[in-house]
Amino acid sequence: MFRLFFTPGWFNGYDLLFNSVGLVVALLIAAYSWRVYKFNRENRFMYFSLAFLLVSISLAFKIFTSGVLYYFPVRETVYQVIGPAAGPGLRYSALFYRAGFFFQMASMLGAWLVIFFVSQKSRARLTKFYELSQIGLFVYLLLLISVISNFKYVVFYLTSSVLLSLIVLNYYKNYITTKKNSALKVMAAFLFILAGNLISVFLFLQNGSYVVGEILTLVGFLILLQTYRQVVRR
Amino acid sequence: MAVRRSRLELVFDILLAIQNKGGRIKPTHLMYKSNLSHKLLNGYLEELLQKELILLEEEPVKKKRRPLKVVRITDKGLSFLAEFRRMREFTDAFGL
Repeated sequence: MFRLFFTPGWFNGYDLLFNSVGLVVALLIAAYSWRVYKFNRENRFMYFSLAFLLVSISLAFKIFTSGVLYYFPVRETVYQVIGPAAGPGLRYSALFYRAGFFFQMASMLGAWLVIFFVSQKSRARLTKFYELSQIGLFVYLLLLISVISNFKYVVFYLTSSVLLSLIVLNYYKNYITTKKNSALKVMAAFLFILAGNLISVFLFLQNGSYVVGEILTLVGFLILLQTYRQVVRR
Repeated sequence: MAVRRSRLELVFDILLAIQNKGGRIKPTHLMYKSNLSHKLLNGYLEELLQKELILLEEEPVKKKRRPLKVVRITDKGLSFLAEFRRMREFTDAFGL
């Protein structure tokens, strides 16, 4: 059976639970940002909403693909559904898993890229032609990286870490400018997600780093949730 | 140099000026508080009236023939202020 990397067996399922929390948080932020966009019609909110929607899509793909890998009944059901198309003995099952991981990686990297662009302060951002052409180039590179990551997963975590570092830097600048507690929390949240990704780079040395990486990412999403509640309940 | 206010920010400033004066304000005071010209303010007030965010009332004044015109903020206007504050907090928190 196709495995991109090996994770501790006892942790199977917990990571899906953690990812589900992240998925809900991402959807909440995407929905609120869309609401703000409807209110003031400013494009940056639409892009921010799209970015968190991509995060949730990525997590949904991860939950689905890993769920099929972990649980036999789910695998059987999927076999019944895609069996006729996949051929006898599921010869193309690796293709299915690779497609799942590709969409997971491409949408997550795309989300970080959009958040990076949106968190850069400029009102004219994402409206000028040269900026859009730059994004086009980045999208191509991210798709390429997502394909390569299917054979060497470290490339995904490294690229993700680079993008997250730039996002953290932008949020640090934002905190320095606004001096707001909520801005500090958002920076801390992305810092935890970055730490989670960085630790996951070392999966080839010790598969326990996957557990630490997932826990740090969960903490990041929980801080985002807390900030979201603080902002919306005001 | 000060950043140019967006249309929504101007509406927020107008409504905030009314709220800070206890919910009712004279149009002339509103013009000074919101830092807008007479013509611009009238345009915005018409729009806010249409959207039922404010009310224009006339109050009788002793020893004066003409009643006093006041601008009053509605419940819908107060909700707009609350929503705008949340939105601004979201914008600041997420660096948008």
